[in-house]
Amino acid sequence: MPTVEIDPDELRELTGKDDKGNEELKTDLFGLGLEYEGETEAGEFELEFAPDRLDRLSVEGVARSLRYQYGDARGIHVPSTNPADWTIEVGKSVPEDRPYVTGAVVRNVDLDDAALESLIQLQEKLHATMGRKRAKGAIGIHDLTMLKGAPGSEGTPTIRYVGVDPDGDRFVPLDSDRELTPAEVLEDHQTGRTYADLVSGYERYPAIYDDIGLFSFPPVINGRRTEVSTDSRDLFVEMTGTDQWTIDRMLAIVCYALSARGATIEDVTVEYPEETLRRPDFATKTKTVAHDRIETILGIDLAPEDVIDLAERSGLEAAIVDEARTDDVPGSEDAERNVAYEVTIPPYRVDVLHPLDVIDDLGRAYGFNDLEPRYPDVGTIGGRHERSRIENAVRTRLVGLGLQDLLNFHMISEVENFDRMGLAPDDDALGAGEPTTITEPYSEDYTSLRTWVLPSLLMVLENNTHRRYPQDLAEIGFTARVDDTENTGVDERRHVAAVLARHDAAYEDAKARLQAVAASFGATVETPPTAHPSFIDGRTAAVVIDGEAVGVIGEIHPEVLVEHDLEVPVAAFEFDLEALR
Amino acid sequence: MQLSQTQVAVLEAASADEARTVDALADATDLPPERVTGAVFALEEAGLVAVEEAVDETVALTEEGRTYAEATLPEVGLYETALEAGADETPAPMGQVIGRSGLEGPQVDIALSNYARKGYGSIDSGELTADPDADPTADGEVGALEALAGDTAADEHPVATLEVDADTLDQLERRGLLERRESTVRTAILTEAGVTELMAGIEAADTVGQVTPELLTSGEWRDADFAAYNVEADAEVVDGGGVHILRQTAERVKDVLVGMGFQEMAGPHADADFWINDCLFMPQDHPARTHWDRFALEHPTHIDELPAALVERVERAHREGVGPDGEGYNSPWDEDFARAIALRGHTTSLSARYLSGHQMGRLEPPQRYFSVEKVYRNDTLDPTHLLEFFQIEGWVMADSLSVRDLMGTFEEFYAQFGIHDIEFKPHYNPYTEPSFELFGTHPTTGELVEIGNSGIFREEMLEPLGVECDVMAWGLALERLLMLMYGFEDIRDIHGTLCDLELLRETEVTY
Repeated sequence: MPTVEIDPDELRELTGKDDKGNEELKTDLFGLGLEYEGETEAGEFELEFAPDRLDRLSVEGVARSLRYQYGDARGIHVPSTNPADWTIEVGKSVPEDRPYVTGAVVRNVDLDDAALESLIQLQEKLHATMGRKRAKGAIGIHDLTMLKGAPGSEGTPTIRYVGVDPDGDRFVPLDSDRELTPAEVLEDHQTGRTYADLVSGYERYPAIYDDIGLFSFPPVINGRRTEVSTDSRDLFVEMTGTDQWTIDRMLAIVCYALSARGATIEDVTVEYPEETLRRPDFATKTKTVAHDRIETILGIDLAPEDVIDLAERSGLEAAIVDEARTDDVPGSEDAERNVAYEVTIPPYRVDVLHPLDVIDDLGRAYGFNDLEPRYPDVGTIGGRHERSRIENAVRTRLVGLGLQDLLNFHMISEVENFDRMGLAPDDDALGAGEPTTITEPYSEDYTSLRTWVLPSLLMVLENNTHRRYPQDLAEIGFTARVDDTENTGVDERRHVAAVLARHDAAYEDAKARLQAVAASFGATVETPPTAHPSFIDGRTAAVVIDGEAVGVIGEIHPEVLVEHDLEVPVAAFEFDLEALR
Repeated sequence: MQLSQTQVAVLEAASADEARTVDALADATDLPPERVTGAVFALEEAGLVAVEEAVDETVALTEEGRTYAEATLPEVGLYETALEAGADETPAPMGQVIGRSGLEGPQVDIALSNYARKGYGSIDSGELTADPDADPTADGEVGALEALAGDTAADEHPVATLEVDADTLDQLERRGLLERRESTVRTAILTEAGVTELMAGIEAADTVGQVTPELLTSGEWRDADFAAYNVEADAEVVDGGGVHILRQTAERVKDVLVGMGFQEMAGPHADADFWINDCLFMPQDHPARTHWDRFALEHPTHIDELPAALVERVERAHREGVGPDGEGYNSPWDEDFARAIALRGHTTSLSARYLSGHQMGRLEPPQRYFSVEKVYRNDTLDPTHLLEFFQIEGWVMADSLSVRDLMGTFEEFYAQFGIHDIEFKPHYNPYTEPSFELFGTHPTTGELVEIGNSGIFREEMLEPLGVECDVMAWGLALERLLMLMYGFEDIRDIHGTLCDLELLRETEVTY
């Protein structure tokens, strides 16, 4: 789970709760759904965050949520912005897959070390989450005093977001002291190599220019010239990406965080060839939530004023829109049932898609743990799936015959599944067939799904040679093979498999048990001779149940035994569970 | 004095001069060792023989030990390479010597940690020196390995006859290069009373060893004198069959859920992302979908066909949301991506299939469904995490459900397993709202353990599936429940091919 690091002292300062002890803070944070995971060396809390509340990726946002929880803040706060001075002009040369940009000017910031660290963390966490590792949105924060705006169409200072020749202009990127072209950054700079895949397919690379030249190469790296430090007083925040909504919301979250530290936000004009936007976008949105729905989801009765109160304590604002109908008696249940609220959502909330999300907020403000559990008054009839019933019946029989039931992994290596059994995928034998293979296996031990069960049983025997014999084992297990006639392209089947490993195990021991199982299901079993590469010739038979060849039975070939470090003979069988139905 | 025939035979085979082992007595009397043991104890009780027990200790090389016996110990290999590199005169860079030595993986650490300990030289600031006076042939561990390797047929060596000092054996055992085994050997020797009795001549009682069909049908049993057994003696160990412990737990969960009115679901393990994720309103650029913890299939890659009308509704929910002021994701949506096949990361894919009406036909409320089936996650394999594990999936469909109903259902379910005081932590899932993580208190450690995830399915999920009422759902980890119930520490001992048969055989059943 992702974590965010929060300095408890900063939290106390920003919430104005100097008297809160660390333990008390942890309890309050758990109430927000931020679970305490541990502490850094510097004493910062490591908090696990839920990926919905991306406005809580920094101490400022967490403090804001706590203030609502404490009742020190209510309703919605939207920072005021000063009129735009700067313009971002979007050139036609911008890569068409990454055309969007947004920005804001932030003045009078007071960046001490802690505040700068928090800003950097917020930027990283936003990149990792909403920004989808910078693919969807990338943030660049610059020291405004180091920028020289080009005179724009209105005479205002302007920076330009354009596409640039990969081998064109040079700039000095962060953490470097050499001038590099964008293409060289991707090859020679560590951060460049990390993010090279995001842009290397473009003909022209994204770049931002001021009057002096190229100063940012989004989404890869900023230039050193505009690097932010604790001395920076005014900032230029720009974000580029593949989706305007996403970068606008990321910008709102960053602006709210800086504003919480006393900074002033100033609008920026974004000039696309076709339209002009004023950013940051602090517009609120609304959802209409029915009173009745709130009550059914939470399972409690609430008065409308309670709902409005809960909304304000969640940092939302609710207003009654649908008054009771004229024939409703005021204050009656009918009157409440027809009530609905228009709930206003602040611009930093990226998780509210539906009225249900508002109800969740109200429930959290009410305290879900204060709700009394009740068993739903809903009558239904329970029952097992037919497949699990037959599996159980076969398992009971096998256990009664003295076999230890096993439960093995479905993933296996093709070496175990085929090679070590002496089997090839294109053999005409049980277990052969095209395996379902995994694109990026966890390790070479788990590269595909097993096509049969006996390889797993032999591995268990191999890992237990130090344990007592006899080792009579069985598994009713999942197998899979590629099959184009199936909808999913995979034929998934359950096989019944057993091994008898003991100093005197022989074919007839296996056959005795096979007969017993078949007889329990009223099935006739025949065992005509056959050949199978995993078994000894002359001691191998096909398992024919009710006239259909569905498996194999015999004594495992010494080559396979030795391969599995076994020093006892093994008699075995495996067949398709379907045959017993 | 009258003794049973077995006892007489054993007494006659015993000697007054030398203690004979049970095995030797069994050979001499042609009786099975178990019966001889029984007779020996009976004779001891009668004061006719004296029994002594000795512990026979043997050692054998482990696989790793055999490897080193064939080649050489890693530190010796390192020393020899160091000499070749001239490290006896000038210190050589460690990395270079290791590279030339051909040591790999954990062997490097083994070599380095033993190198200095055994005086082959020293390691300082990444440089290695070799002591020219060190002599691998004088290395006790090397000698011991050679002695133990011997001929492969006799890989068990009695410690008593082995010419290796105890400290070296301890050291090799600590390094995991050899294993000790112990067995109890019982010997019997005639006492004076035994000799006297023998001299006096002992008659074997005409006792009956076994009740036979002849004895019963002939009526001879009326006059028979049944030889007494040593009924306290240990019997041969019989393991018999047994249901796998994890399966037992799964079965118990199924019983409980069926009792609570749930029907069981079944469906594909390898499934289209559409059923695994898209139907669950998981955006296509959600980290869990592109993240490495998903097992995408290389072959086959895509599902044949998806229900076209459903695909259209699901895509619309992703793009535009559901309801008059619903919003969609600002994320790309591509049918080809939805058709990609993966091993399911949760069995909520089954719930999606059932709720869609494509599995069982359109379901009308009320309904309860469950499954206890495998899911696959490309996560780190460790004592508490497996790549494939069982998920207890369940959902309730009814016209009106609240989070209180969800909480009440869990309380009843876990109470069946003796787990009370379930805690609910508000949580986020893309496909449920509200959502809760569930925590239970470990019965022995008192620790709060996460046991599952739950919530009320979002309308963006239900509306495209054609469900017009409420559905609450959850996914719980079966292995977590097992660990809480049994107190197991490493789940790999139980589930999978590394399972320990001894553990499966000896774990107590629960009911």
